[in-house]
Amino acid sequence: MSLSYSRRKIATAYLFILPGLLLFLIFVIYPIAKAFQMSFYEWNIMPGKPNEFIGLGNYIRAYNDPIVRLSLTNTIVYTIITVPTGMILALLSALLLNQIRRGKVFFRTLYYLPVITSWVIVSFLFRYFFQSPKGILNNLLVNTFHIIKEPISWLQNTPTAFIPIWALGIWKEIGWAMVIFLAALQTIPTELYEAAELDGANAWKRLINVTLPLIRPTLVFVLVVLMIGGFNVFTSVFLITNGGPLQRTEVILSYMFHQAFDYLDFGYGTAISFLLAAIIIILSFLQIRFLRKPEEII
Amino acid sequence: MRTKLQIIISALMILSVALAACGPSTPAAVTPVTVIETREVMITPTPAPEGPITITFWHIYSEAEMNMLEDTLIPKFEAEHPNVKVQSVQIPYAEFRRKLLTAISGGTAPDLIRSDIIWVPEFAYMGATVALDELMPDFEQYANSVFEGPLATNFFNGHYYGLPLDTNNRVLVYNKDMFKAAGIEAPPTTLDEFLADCEKIKQLGEGKYCYADYGTYAWAVNPFIWSFGGDITDPNYTVSTGYLNGPNTRAAYEFLKKLVDEGYMHPGILGGGLDAWGGFGNDEIAMILEGPWFPTIFGTEKDYGFALMPAGPGGHISVVGGEDIVMFQQSQHKEEAADFIRFILSEDSQVAMASVGQMPVLKTFAEPGSPIDLDFYGIFFEQAKTARARTPHPNFTKIEAIYQNAGLAYLRGEQSFEEAFNAAVAQIDPLLKLEP
Repeated sequence: MSLSYSRRKIATAYLFILPGLLLFLIFVIYPIAKAFQMSFYEWNIMPGKPNEFIGLGNYIRAYNDPIVRLSLTNTIVYTIITVPTGMILALLSALLLNQIRRGKVFFRTLYYLPVITSWVIVSFLFRYFFQSPKGILNNLLVNTFHIIKEPISWLQNTPTAFIPIWALGIWKEIGWAMVIFLAALQTIPTELYEAAELDGANAWKRLINVTLPLIRPTLVFVLVVLMIGGFNVFTSVFLITNGGPLQRTEVILSYMFHQAFDYLDFGYGTAISFLLAAIIIILSFLQIRFLRKPEEII
Repeated sequence: MRTKLQIIISALMILSVALAACGPSTPAAVTPVTVIETREVMITPTPAPEGPITITFWHIYSEAEMNMLEDTLIPKFEAEHPNVKVQSVQIPYAEFRRKLLTAISGGTAPDLIRSDIIWVPEFAYMGATVALDELMPDFEQYANSVFEGPLATNFFNGHYYGLPLDTNNRVLVYNKDMFKAAGIEAPPTTLDEFLADCEKIKQLGEGKYCYADYGTYAWAVNPFIWSFGGDITDPNYTVSTGYLNGPNTRAAYEFLKKLVDEGYMHPGILGGGLDAWGGFGNDEIAMILEGPWFPTIFGTEKDYGFALMPAGPGGHISVVGGEDIVMFQQSQHKEEAADFIRFILSEDSQVAMASVGQMPVLKTFAEPGSPIDLDFYGIFFEQAKTARARTPHPNFTKIEAIYQNAGLAYLRGEQSFEEAFNAAVAQIDPLLKLEP
């Protein structure tokens, strides 16, 4: 029992980590490893029944599956549309909010509300808004504002069926990104703005030359996190269109879900999700590698 | 001092997790009181061998039906079988199959379920369910007392994997107010009359639809396909070429396309959301196909009537729905579960469920002197004589998705009938062939 003080400290740390680590191993690492194994099999969901090893069969099938390609395209388009739009709107609201003196907490709460509302409930609401011919949105456009003559069949066609999905994604992103940006903005020393002002920089130049460079690490962080979220879009698609009409709004995760849980093709489903994981890991790595300066990488 | 305390606390945390994981076999070590408390909370109590047995019954009953089951039938069963408790679990239809399959793969399937008839072959093919004709010595007696159509939905590979619990089918429900406004006196008896009535209903103006359904899945389109004399597969469910893309099926889809193109059909069939019951109630939709649950859930304030599915060249053929009671291999209490099956198929239980909208399966109930309301159920018993079941095949879910998409592509005008359905049968035919 002659452990040195620092050894004891380390032992304590490990003991504290252990319960969480065990839970992590059992409920996160084990399922991932199991799923990885499943992706090489024609998996039988009955316990005790034999599973047929088919090597890369599921991955080859995914590569040749036109719906996998379509859903991958849809996922990428979703990310390209929602992430930059969400970030720009979030940055704008953060800049505005950073300047007002009164009601800051009120507006911050207001913008953050979408983040804490349930995806499920809002998805259902969006589906009702976009119903045709008698949804609320059609009613507003046709009867109240007379912008269009005939109601639009939003959910029956692409690309209009994507609009509620994109809109919901952006609406959800803004609040979260704004709070992060706000925190970053508050770390910028006011002297820098004063100095810039003395040098004759206007508001736009101050934004470009002072604000943005200084919150760059935050921008990259938000970009990476939102991109991962974008690639993982599922709930809104599942509940608003369920991949329809004719599988045209299917995204990677909804297609994976249908394969695994409707058609019981768990091997194929897991293969699709590992393809998605590979894409996300590569993109995140590239983003961090090229968008962050070397000194910012921990 | 502080470090020591930290070590003790963390050790206790680990110990509590370990104890909870070990379960009841872990001896109660000499440990502080807090640990013992954690352990008591986290361990699932193991039932004592002599105590009551619990059988789990998953179902998709509506509110009124579930109340009847839980407040009347289960207490009665438990009084007759003091050793058995029945746990009723209600799960929404959309989640039922997924949740069940997850439970099966985890080895925690319920003892019994009220299964959509269309899932029974799939579960049997997977080897998940019990052949009741092997388990129950008195199976014949029950098989003989129920309608043959619903009974047949339990048959797979030479055995019966369930017993019918309730049956239903879709009949035409028509909106009397709209019929009156359009000057139509009686509900259509043929599909030609149906079309003529649709023209009159269209004259009622913008936003008035003759007919509505939610999509092109089997439950919606099969009555039209069959009534036109078409079919999905041959009678033995081995091939779809020549049936699903045959001339009679084609006539049915052309009929549906006409309804869409002329604006008789609510566009909701093409996707994008529809509230058919709401539209029916607001005099926007004149006709829908519905089952015997309709009055219980929709209400009886609106003036509407029931009629048989309008006849085409193939007759007035509707689709059979309903549920079978099915037992799982993973059940630990098969005998008790079989007792519950006998109980729920008894005349009293069937009468009770009929009072809340469940159409009974006992043959005697369709005859004069029936203990149930034949004024109401009569039309459904009449329709049941010709109604048919959707393809009873383990791959039904995939097969249905294929022709649902083909039908949608055709109705939307994106593909010709040949393009859509020749491609569909090419996909469906291999699915019909089962690996042994």
